[in-house]
Amino acid sequence: MKQRLILYLMTLWAVLTLNFLLPRMLPGDPLQALLDPQSSTYVFDPATRAALEADYGLDRSLLEQYAGYLVGVFTADLGHSIRLNQPVIDLIRSHLPWTLLLTGSALALASLVGIVIGTEAAWRHRSMWDTSLVTVSVILSNAPVFFTGMVFLIVFGVWLGWLPLSGGRTPFADYSSLLAEMRDYGSHLLLPLVTLTLSLLGGKFLLVRNSMLGVLQEDFMLVARAKGLPAGQLKRRHGLRNAILPFVHHLASHAGFAITGALFIETLFAYPGIGQLIFDSVVVRDYPVIQGVFLVVSLMVLSANLLADWLSYQLDPRLREA
Amino acid sequence: MLVVATRYVERVLRYPFGRADVRHVFSSIGGTTAVGLVLFLGFVFVAIFAPVLAPYNPDAFSGKPLEHPSNAHLLGTNDVGQDIFSELVFGTQISLIIGVGAGLGAVFLAVVIGGAAGYIGGWLDFVLMRLGDMLLALPRLPMLILVNALIGAGVWQMVITIALLFWPTTARIIRSEVQRVRQRTYLQLAHHFGSNRLYVLRRHVLPHITPLIVFGLVTSAGRAVALEAGLAFLGLGDPAAKSWGLMMRYALNLPGLLLTDRWLWWLLPPGVCITLLILSLTLVGIGLESRLMPGLRRQ
Repeated sequence: MKQRLILYLMTLWAVLTLNFLLPRMLPGDPLQALLDPQSSTYVFDPATRAALEADYGLDRSLLEQYAGYLVGVFTADLGHSIRLNQPVIDLIRSHLPWTLLLTGSALALASLVGIVIGTEAAWRHRSMWDTSLVTVSVILSNAPVFFTGMVFLIVFGVWLGWLPLSGGRTPFADYSSLLAEMRDYGSHLLLPLVTLTLSLLGGKFLLVRNSMLGVLQEDFMLVARAKGLPAGQLKRRHGLRNAILPFVHHLASHAGFAITGALFIETLFAYPGIGQLIFDSVVVRDYPVIQGVFLVVSLMVLSANLLADWLSYQLDPRLREA
Repeated sequence: MLVVATRYVERVLRYPFGRADVRHVFSSIGGTTAVGLVLFLGFVFVAIFAPVLAPYNPDAFSGKPLEHPSNAHLLGTNDVGQDIFSELVFGTQISLIIGVGAGLGAVFLAVVIGGAAGYIGGWLDFVLMRLGDMLLALPRLPMLILVNALIGAGVWQMVITIALLFWPTTARIIRSEVQRVRQRTYLQLAHHFGSNRLYVLRRHVLPHITPLIVFGLVTSAGRAVALEAGLAFLGLGDPAAKSWGLMMRYALNLPGLLLTDRWLWWLLPPGVCITLLILSLTLVGIGLESRLMPGLRRQ
């Protein structure tokens, strides 16, 4: 566990350093372009320009800049957005809750459904259900998430007209009650949520199913069966309890995957999260925002990794002994 | 009974990837692999013969803007009057170049790094593997978005960046296999008989890792195709290389596209193509995995 912690701290440092070095190593410094009157992206507002220059301390040595940058990061100062002339940290703060809501609920939902149907499919191994579930999930987990999202958008948003096409809530809506407000948020969340859940579900289902299949062949399952234990107990206490470990272990990579998927889905559904923010910033090459989002997403993925490691450490006594 | 079980466990521990032999692997291709392989070769065929198969130059303004499908334009034309079917056919080339290129690059790095880590061991092993762990923990898409936004993405820049991000998974597998093979007595014997290191590597180690190389190539290629499509969709691909992802992005830029049935011939075909190409590689991967790793065989 300690080793993992050191690894993540090292990775965090690498992320921070990369984020600092990349723009400075590459030719055609984007910041220079903003400060150069000849450039097409020249910032005309002198106040913004002064803020930019001060922010990046372009006149100081690289080492001084690095120290300043680190201090900035740890005091949550990520620079100014060129597009919106706002501190990057404020932008991230207003967009992040949407992404957390979307990714968190999709991860939870996909894990739950994946575990349930994965267990059942392994139990009814080679039945028609099992085979068709495997086929569907292989196809679903291979389709790019922005493509499946688009299909859902067309079917449920356009053809059936059941759900709103885009956004996180109805603009300028005046809610009569808390219930109405929640319904509005919910109906906007539903399509992105279903898309993300389905794209995560395939991998989770296959993982649970395959590890369950492995466990079901173990000798202790034979013994448990011979003792005449009821099927439910066999499945859950003896089978699933052991089959769940690799699943927890892989939750970390799933979290990274989920956040990546969310970035695409938010772009597609114009859902006001981090993905939307990064997409709008990419279009106008708003580098401070892109870098800030990169940092925050890296931090999220790393903490998810750490959490998953800690969880599997708690669940599996063998890891603690090793 | 107990003896048989012990032997079985011993065998699995010693050869978790099976007694890997290339000929054996390829002579007994399963149904899944065959389907995947046929699909994939279909795409390769389309990519190679794109100039023959496509009725128009994909960049030429061969019709009026936004034409519906007709005999002249199988999938109609886009908003500037380019033939969508031809774009689709030529898009295959870009997806394949990036997929196969990045896959090859990643696997090359994986063989060199994983091989060195496993064969030489010691501090080199430690450093290389920690580096790999760090790369695995990095979020890839935001990383690529940052790099692409900064350097501007050409096809080859993308191939190199993806390869640099993708090597650790395969390198890990190769490292542990090399470590296992290195322990074998016949290998130590070969050393004692005075064969040089390169000979031993080529003659005794390489055959063991070849199936793993193929497996790594297939899986990394699939993920590279998906990543390229995603980046192009976000508008971060090479704007000169009109890939499937970029086609979808251009299509979605048309206001109200989803409200007409234009998406049927403009959005759907590239989406289906991306899915099928990734699917074909995954199917080959699944087939290979179950051959190579009988211990983990998907029953």
